[in-house]
Amino acid sequence: MANSTVNSEVFENLKLELRRGCLTLAVLTQLRAERYGYTLRKALMDEGLEIDEGTLYPLLRRLESQGLLMSQWREEDKRNKRFYKLSPTGEATLTQLLAEWERINTSLTKILQEV
Amino acid sequence: MSTPSHPLEFVQRYLQAVRFWLPKTQGQEDVLSELGEDLRSQIEQKETELGRALDKDEVSAILKRCGAPMLVASRLSPSRYLIGPTLFPVYTFVMKIVLLWILLPLFMLIVGPTSVAINGGDWGAGVLNTMGHLWFGWFMAAGIITLVFAVLERTHSQMGMDGKWDPMKLPPVPKEERKSSLVGTACQLVFAVFGLAWLLLLPHYPVLIFGPAAALLKAAPMWQKFYLPILLVGVVALLRPTLTLAKPGWAWFPSLGELVQTGLSLILLNFIIDTAGQTAGGEWHPFVMLTDAGSNSAQYAHVAALINVSILLSLIGVWFGLSIAIVIQAWRFLRAIRKRSPASRQPAALEAH
Repeated sequence: MANSTVNSEVFENLKLELRRGCLTLAVLTQLRAERYGYTLRKALMDEGLEIDEGTLYPLLRRLESQGLLMSQWREEDKRNKRFYKLSPTGEATLTQLLAEWERINTSLTKILQEV
Repeated sequence: MSTPSHPLEFVQRYLQAVRFWLPKTQGQEDVLSELGEDLRSQIEQKETELGRALDKDEVSAILKRCGAPMLVASRLSPSRYLIGPTLFPVYTFVMKIVLLWILLPLFMLIVGPTSVAINGGDWGAGVLNTMGHLWFGWFMAAGIITLVFAVLERTHSQMGMDGKWDPMKLPPVPKEERKSSLVGTACQLVFAVFGLAWLLLLPHYPVLIFGPAAALLKAAPMWQKFYLPILLVGVVALLRPTLTLAKPGWAWFPSLGELVQTGLSLILLNFIIDTAGQTAGGEWHPFVMLTDAGSNSAQYAHVAALINVSILLSLIGVWFGLSIAIVIQAWRFLRAIRKRSPASRQPAALEAH
C-alpha cells in the first residue's frame, strides 16, 4: 500500500517534469496568434492538453519576463482582457525549440522502437 | 456568513480570498484581474452551452475545480525561499561545522566542567545547566547562520561561483589503495621525535605541561604508574613512521601500525580512567594536585578541581574518538588485507580497465 503511494508520487513528479517543457512549447506555439488566457487554455484543452489556471498564468508571466511574449490589456466584449503574443525573440526561440523537439522526438522514437 | 445573492459574487469573494494570500507586489492586481477574467469566461462559456444562467452550485463547482484560494495564490506567486539551492549546500555545511564540531566540543570540554565546578561539584545541576546553555547556544547559532545566509541570498547569491572556480584547484580524488605520502610520514616522524622528547623531559620540567601554573600545580601520583606505558605508546608512535619510511614495500604496514597504536592508546586510556575512578570513598582520583605553595588557597583548590574535571571529560572524549577510530582503522586494515588476497585482485584489475 505504502509502496504504491510512493510509486504514484514518483509517477506524478515524473509526469510533471515531462509535461513542463512540453507545455512551454505548446503555449509558445499557440501564441503565434494573439490570445488571452482563457482562450489559450481552451485552445490547448481542445487539443487534449489540459492546463489549469495556476500553471498557465505563472508560465505566461515567466515567458513574458524572459522576453518571449508581449502582453497588452485591452477591452473586448466590455471586459478587460490581457492578450498575449509571441515577441520577435519568442518567435526565434520557438523555431529553435521546435527543431530541438524534432531531434529529441526522432531519437526517442528510435530508442522506443529498439526496446 | 451570508450566501451571495448573485452567483458572480462568489467569484468576487473567491478573488478576495486569493488576494489575501498573494504577496502585495505591483503585479498582484494583474494576477487577480487575469484570474477573474478566466473564471468569468468559464462561467460565460458554460452559460452559452446550457443556454441559461448558472446557479450558485454550478458557479461553486467551477471555483472548486480552480482550487482552494491559498493553493491558487501559492501557484500564482513567484517562488520564494529563504536560502536558495545555490547556497543551501554551503549553509548545511557551515551549520554542521558550527553546531557539531565547534559548539558541541566547546560545551562538553569547557562549559560543562566549568558549570560543574560553579555548582560545587554537583554533576546533576552542572549537566542540566550545560544542556540548557547548549540548547540556547545551538538555537542562537542556527538563527544567526540562517540570518547571514538569508542576507547573502538576497545580496550575493551567486558569490562568483559560476565563473571564478578553477578546475585546476579541485582537491584530488583519494586513491583507493591508501599510500602514505613521504612528506606526511616524515612529518609524523618529526612530531613523534618531539613528542617522545617532551615525554622524557616532563618529569624533570613540569613547566612543559603546566606552564606558569607549575608553581601551584603538580601531577598526581597516579601518573607515576602510567608513565612507562605512555612512553611505550610514544615509542610505538616513533617506530610506525620510521618503519613506514624504511620499508615502503610493506603496503599493509601503515594501516596495521595505525591500528596497533590506537589499540594500545585505547587500552592505556581505559586503565587511566578506571584508576581515576577506583577510590574507596566514591570520589575520583585527581589528575593534578596543588603544590605546597598553593595548597592553602580555596581559590586554587577550585581551579584544580576544575582542571581535574576538564581532564576527565577530555579523556572520556578521547576514549570515544579512539573507539570510533579503531573501528574505522580495523575496517581499513581488513580491506587492505582482502585486496592483497589473490581472489580479490582479479576484479580490482578488471575494474581498472
